[in-house]
Amino acid sequence: MGGGGLTTYVARRVLIALGLVYIVTTIVFLVLHVIPGDPAMLLLSGGGVDPSAEAVAELRRKLGLDQPIFTQYIDYLAGLLQGDLGNSFQDDHPVAAEIAKRLPRTIELILAAALLSVLTGLPLGTLAALRQGGITDRSLSLVAGLMLSVPVFVTGTLLVLVFAQKLQWVPAGGFVEWSRDPIRHLIHLLMPAVTIAMGLSAVIFRMMRTTVLETLQQEWVRTARAKGLSGRSVLLRHVVRNALGPVLTVLGLHMGTLLGGTVLVEYVFNWPGLSGFLVVAVETRDYPEVQGIVLVISFLFILLNLLVDLLYSVLDPRIRLE
Amino acid sequence: MSDKPKTFYDDLSRRHMLGGMAALGGAVLVGPGLIGRAQAKTPGTLVFGLSSYPPGIKPWENKGTASSTVKLQLFRGLLGYGPDGGLQPELAESWEIPDAQTYIIQLRDNAYFHNGDPVTAEDVKVSLEAIAAEDSTAHLRSRFGVVESIEIVDPKTVRINLKEPQVTFIYLLASVHSHIVSAKELAKDPNNFVGAGPYRMVEVERGTRIEMEAFDKYYKAGLPKTKNLRFDAYKDENLRVAALEAGDVDVIEYVPWQSMDSIGANSKLNLDVVDGPFMYLLFNTEAGPFTDPRLRQAVAYAVQRQDVIAAAFFGRGNLLGAMPIPKGSEYHEPSFEGHWKRDLEKAKALLAEAGFPDGFQATLLSTAQYGMHKDTAEVVQQNLADIGIQVKLNLPDWATRVSLGNRGQYDFAVMGSAGDFNDPDALTNFLDGTRGNSYVRSLGFADDEINGLLAEGRQELDPAKRKAIYDKVHARALELAPIVPINWRAQGYATQAYVSGFKNMPGFLTFYSGYTIENTAIE
Repeated sequence: MGGGGLTTYVARRVLIALGLVYIVTTIVFLVLHVIPGDPAMLLLSGGGVDPSAEAVAELRRKLGLDQPIFTQYIDYLAGLLQGDLGNSFQDDHPVAAEIAKRLPRTIELILAAALLSVLTGLPLGTLAALRQGGITDRSLSLVAGLMLSVPVFVTGTLLVLVFAQKLQWVPAGGFVEWSRDPIRHLIHLLMPAVTIAMGLSAVIFRMMRTTVLETLQQEWVRTARAKGLSGRSVLLRHVVRNALGPVLTVLGLHMGTLLGGTVLVEYVFNWPGLSGFLVVAVETRDYPEVQGIVLVISFLFILLNLLVDLLYSVLDPRIRLE
Repeated sequence: MSDKPKTFYDDLSRRHMLGGMAALGGAVLVGPGLIGRAQAKTPGTLVFGLSSYPPGIKPWENKGTASSTVKLQLFRGLLGYGPDGGLQPELAESWEIPDAQTYIIQLRDNAYFHNGDPVTAEDVKVSLEAIAAEDSTAHLRSRFGVVESIEIVDPKTVRINLKEPQVTFIYLLASVHSHIVSAKELAKDPNNFVGAGPYRMVEVERGTRIEMEAFDKYYKAGLPKTKNLRFDAYKDENLRVAALEAGDVDVIEYVPWQSMDSIGANSKLNLDVVDGPFMYLLFNTEAGPFTDPRLRQAVAYAVQRQDVIAAAFFGRGNLLGAMPIPKGSEYHEPSFEGHWKRDLEKAKALLAEAGFPDGFQATLLSTAQYGMHKDTAEVVQQNLADIGIQVKLNLPDWATRVSLGNRGQYDFAVMGSAGDFNDPDALTNFLDGTRGNSYVRSLGFADDEINGLLAEGRQELDPAKRKAIYDKVHARALELAPIVPINWRAQGYATQAYVSGFKNMPGFLTFYSGYTIENTAIE
């Protein structure tokens, strides 16, 4: 198949991706407006004290909620086309600016967690494979199983209890900008990153263990060893390198999931990223914020998948034919 | 294959990998330890742990406790409250009420806005008129409808004329939702609110942190006591407590009930708890079983109030078997106290009298978003099963709970609330259905006698006569059971032991304890 085929394939995939983004946008808009909960009423009734009806009506008018839902939808789409995600219902703050500030923090958290996971998962997975069936392998696999099955809000809360409340080594949560104090920034990053890394490193550990085991059975490993290469160089140059491919694919796929999956971790540790922010936005029915965050997360998710697909098609031309 | 390479790489793996892991683990665990306590108390800075990041800090909107606390630092009204809960002058130096229809306010000479301008009668007029304006989203918008006119007598004197006598108007002037802002700044930009509070804004990290510093021209000599003030938002209640115990913050609001014992027992911390808001049941009096007051009465006699306090508030609260007028109030009538307590015989008799000797089915609306609302609903469900009322729970999220409540989609509902001020007129919000449908009061309940008495109470200047009026309201409410109160809810703040001057204010004012931040010192 020639270059034209690839272009057509890419164009088709991009169109599908754009269509998906549009569908997600519309579904989120509709769901938000259909579920019960009046943003104006919620915003003006702090402490369980109800506001005056005139004030609520006025706020609804100011927020444009008195318009028919179709008009609101068209206004929203028109804004989107101009790159305007709207302003927060809570304090009129531009949603796009807030997302631009928070998204890098979420990505930073995910990358830090990924780094910790790779640093622990790869060597331990290899070690377990080499010790297959032994006490090291069995205990590591047991720990990995545990870390996979305990939800993040449990590990997160336990970490806070032990390291912040009892030992007082680290703050219980929160955030300090890198520009203000880089060391404090990293200290605040540590616990949420470790919490996410626990589950992720268990995934990598398992994947690495399985792949290394498979690789070790390959005939060329025996050949390499027979050639007279040391155990060390066979392992590092051949076995681990060959095992990395599938492991990194799994890691890549998990990164997308983590974009939305850090909600609880950000919440538990007060990490002011994108996903924890979504919780508050949903609770207060801040439509523009919810729509903006979901749009950005789904956009990135779709983009990530698109890139993986395109990459595969470049690597393996057969995929384009399917 | 039999050559499974088990011992193939012995030379490498154990030594290198375990060693590497130990080093990494060690760095993770010991690193912060070497740096020492990650975040100690910042000198000269009071750090206040809020229960949420304020969803806005406009001076006249009610956006919850966290917002009120922050607002009180930036803005002040004509009057306010002292730590003991008594009315005290703020921007006003004194006030005079020649009759309950006229309020004359004398302003201080030394009150300045954060832009340096003095606070004048013009600012007061503009601010108060904006609250009642056509495009206003102010919390007290409707209540300020009673204002006929605001006259500027001289630059430091304002005369407020009301359409009808209203003794409770003074509480509106003391509300945390009727702050005075600079008219000049407002004219330049209708969203630029410049106040005259003890602190001025330095920096906002939206969603996370608000930093302020003492305003050097604040009108109270020697206050505020601490130079810098920082608000950190901790929405998760366990994290808020953890932040206090870890020394990250000096004060926290909304101490969760399950943590009160451990904080109280911790010598490094102080716990300050008052009876604040109250929990109650409200009813759909337009449709369904609870249109009959006898069935509401039956519920009132069937609820085991101690169980609610034990289950939902970890024992922190006090029984409330009558209308919510706190003991410290001059309007508290001891003979009503504990009027409703569990009496299954009475409850069953009322059911039989109303034609339901074997009970009936009803839907109880509450919310799963807040443990106290959910736990209260579950206890009520169990209690009512004892008299044959089969309760089905509806526990959506809070936003949905509010909507269903406003629309009256329930048979009865759990609610927790506080009045706007510590005066029996605050009962109006719970007893007067003519104020419109609301998730805080029973749907469709309106009683001419009660409403007439409440109106009378608002106009009566003589405290003894007022007391008699509210006693009548109270007696009538116990007869009709428009709402069924359950308990006073303990509301707590906690501070580090080295913090002084902060006080949890009594009753409904607990949510406005932010007034005392100006008196708060660290060591």
